[in-house]
Amino acid sequence: MSLAVLRWVPRGLGLGLLAFAVFGPIGNLLLWAFAERWYWPHALPSQYGLSFWSRVFAPRADAWGSLGLSLLIAVLAVIVSLLLAVPAGYALARRSVPARGVLMLLFLLPQAFPSLPIYMNIARLFYSVGLNGTVPGVVLVHCLHGLVLAVWISAAAFAAVDGAQEEAARNLGAGPLMTFATVTLPAALPGLMASAIFLFLDSLDEFTGTYFVGVPEIVTMPLLLFNAAMGGNYQVASITALVLLVPSIVFMLVIERFLKADVLAKIGG
Amino acid sequence: MSASSPTSAPAIERDLWGLLLLAPALALLIGLFAIPAVYSVLGALTGKAGGPSLEHFRTAIGLYGWDIVFTAWLVCLSVAVIALLAILIAGYLTLGANRLAVRALAWLYRWPLFVPMICAAQMMRGFLAKNGMLNNALVASGALSPTTTTSLLDWRGILITFVWKQFPFVTLLLAGAMASLDRNMIEAARDLGAGRLRVLFGIVLPLVRAPLLVGCVLTFVTLMSVLSVPVMLTADSPTMITVDMAYRINTFGDYGTANALGVISYLMTMLAAWVYLREATRERR
Amino acid sequence: MRTPAMLAIAAATAVSAALLGPARADTTLTVATAGDQNMVDYVNQYLGPKFEKAHPGVHVRAIGTGPGDAGSLAIEQKLMAESKSGTPTWDLDVVVIHQRGAAQMVPEDLLAKYRDQVSTSKLVTSPKANNALGTDVAGYVLPMFDSQVAIAYNPAMVKDPPRSFAALTEWVKKNPKQFGYNGIKGGMAGIGFVMGWVQAYGGLGARLDAGPYDAADKGKIDDALASLKAFNRDATITPGNAGTPDMLGRGEIAMGAVWADMFYTWQADGRLPPELKLVLPSPGLPGQPMYYAIPEKAAHQQLAREFIELATSPEVQAEGIVKRFNWYPGIDAQYVQAKLDPKIWNHLFVDITPQDLKADAKPFPISPYFTTILNEYERVVAN
Repeated sequence: MSLAVLRWVPRGLGLGLLAFAVFGPIGNLLLWAFAERWYWPHALPSQYGLSFWSRVFAPRADAWGSLGLSLLIAVLAVIVSLLLAVPAGYALARRSVPARGVLMLLFLLPQAFPSLPIYMNIARLFYSVGLNGTVPGVVLVHCLHGLVLAVWISAAAFAAVDGAQEEAARNLGAGPLMTFATVTLPAALPGLMASAIFLFLDSLDEFTGTYFVGVPEIVTMPLLLFNAAMGGNYQVASITALVLLVPSIVFMLVIERFLKADVLAKIGG
Repeated sequence: MSASSPTSAPAIERDLWGLLLLAPALALLIGLFAIPAVYSVLGALTGKAGGPSLEHFRTAIGLYGWDIVFTAWLVCLSVAVIALLAILIAGYLTLGANRLAVRALAWLYRWPLFVPMICAAQMMRGFLAKNGMLNNALVASGALSPTTTTSLLDWRGILITFVWKQFPFVTLLLAGAMASLDRNMIEAARDLGAGRLRVLFGIVLPLVRAPLLVGCVLTFVTLMSVLSVPVMLTADSPTMITVDMAYRINTFGDYGTANALGVISYLMTMLAAWVYLREATRERR
Repeated sequence: MRTPAMLAIAAATAVSAALLGPARADTTLTVATAGDQNMVDYVNQYLGPKFEKAHPGVHVRAIGTGPGDAGSLAIEQKLMAESKSGTPTWDLDVVVIHQRGAAQMVPEDLLAKYRDQVSTSKLVTSPKANNALGTDVAGYVLPMFDSQVAIAYNPAMVKDPPRSFAALTEWVKKNPKQFGYNGIKGGMAGIGFVMGWVQAYGGLGARLDAGPYDAADKGKIDDALASLKAFNRDATITPGNAGTPDMLGRGEIAMGAVWADMFYTWQADGRLPPELKLVLPSPGLPGQPMYYAIPEKAAHQQLAREFIELATSPEVQAEGIVKRFNWYPGIDAQYVQAKLDPKIWNHLFVDITPQDLKADAKPFPISPYFTTILNEYERVVAN
């Protein structure tokens, strides 16, 4: 056997083990999603079928409402987050702001503290103003969750824009707003789109905040999954998990185009 | 990095504009983070009678002392394992000789990144059980017999789920940082005969310490906030204090003890954040 | 690059709007139910459609608030918040709560006294409908079903099922880790087992579920819990009400504490092997009804009453509660038995006979003991 082939043995083993580690659990999920009867001592389901799919997606069932709610909240969360983060990121990257370093660190704070205690107190505050169990309440919580990501990526994206182009535009007589709209924003767009996708996924998958703030009216897909899992319905939980995975995987394939090494390297700097 | 506008607007006006642009985001930060955070600390320190008191901390530590230790230990261990795995994978992506293997690895390792934590918990419940897929595979390969399989649905399950879910994130940060390093240095070291592992740990790693620490601290904080995984994978105790916080609130409405546990988790993460600040400021000098 | 992203966002919004659209009807009756997912399924799959057919233009919306007393607490907090904010009508019309929830909400004036205005009220004579863990709730609630915690076992692995707690303790000592229950944080089945343990070894007698509460009993409770701590070393703690039947189904334990209805439902669903059986060890394990109640200021009081009337009618109790979901009926048994095929009726009583239930089906301890036992468990057993 040639040396080249021999070298592939450790490589193949390593890759194979990693593949099992990564795809094994996902495969297990797929099995449960299509299993109808599965109990010990059988290593595989004894009966496959789609009956649980029809149960999950029956017209009256919670899945449709949850899916719609999850998507709505995610879209709103992205819009609100970007509305907050784009000006903030621009200011931090381009404008001179007093104590810029301190402000960057301030925005890091939510990420530096465990969020669960924050969420339980937000829930209590929201109760007193009637925001508990409402879509706006949950959207706000999701925005907080994504704030650090949004602001830091936005700042990194704007920082990566070449200042010379802006100067050129200004020298040609364009006002600050025009420059921003026609030169800065388009150049920063890939980074912003990347952050939008991260924010969307973050919101779709967010569980802990919604658990405290949304319950009982707002049942997003993760909450539906949780309830089904704790209720022991493996099939329904697995089907719900699969449905939750689809947007994530789709966006993973889309994001390959937007993830640039230099944008990532600037996060944290 | 901050190239300010070349117009001749006075500095104060520029500063004011900057702050105005920051205002909405800051408002969210204060309203939805700072205020609840202050509430949580106040709630933890206010006794049932209304005055300042440490009784909630006493209750929290009395009932959940072991859980606190368990949480700290488990999260630190998870971060350590994640960091090691990330270094090795990012290292191979940067220094790997075979292009096909590198590309396969790059495609493979990202998948868990896009799986929501709660989906990961659900997957692992079936995968790691006594008669779950992992044990069945081990039995099929002859490594274990059906009677010696053990259920991994305890701290090991939590550890595995955390590592599985978070290692791609840190790997991504590291790989990005390693990719923007000057290749000449690496080539020079290789030319001098240094093995790849030596290059990784001796030359590359010190240069990407900052992103590694960012990844570790962010991972630490993320793991400290996870509720779904310990609830779905383990039973009663010991368990992570996130479960205890939710339990105090949901079953007793006991915000005092829950907030005391919250403050304890803040202190744990402040320690971790302090480590980062120390390392990062050391970098800047 | 921009257009596909915009299109995706537009599509997502459109899809979500479409999915949320059909939820609009002339009137929406909101039913909030604590308990496991099967409670929500009951309304969504059976009771809701039945009610809507009889009341065109009405849409029944079911919200699950989570298992165990935590789910009932969530309802209590929501109603309390609405009461404090002073809104004229509250947005929950019917609530389905545990006994502990009712014991809290009645003194807090959060529930309406509706029972006398419902025709099925006379079909319920059980004292459980008037008393919840020591609190008088007469007139405010009607039982939806009655449930029972029991020990499920695998006859192939347990040749001689233990018929008393003493026998159970012996068996567990000889077969370590083969018995499972879900502690006190995972749901009421585990809590039920702990209460049964204190009943068996605490020496409090009838005081536990009849009162009066004596604070000095804490010492006896601690002693009983100390022996439970030793027992736990040989037992397996499972994750949640569903965790126990889960592990039973996978053969990881041979015996476990389960809700009888969950046991039968899982067998019917193919998640538990049909050979498994139930046993009720003496001096007994608790069970509890869940209650239908109407919030004090619910928006649709009349509709809510009609909903509960339907839910407690003998037909629905027979078809829905017993046949479909394997619960014990909430109204008196004789009205329901008359409506059922004897085979289906007997299915509920095959392992645990009515005599067994008479002897060993206990209510949960009264509130002060209940809370004390929970707190002491954390202090004594969990540390």
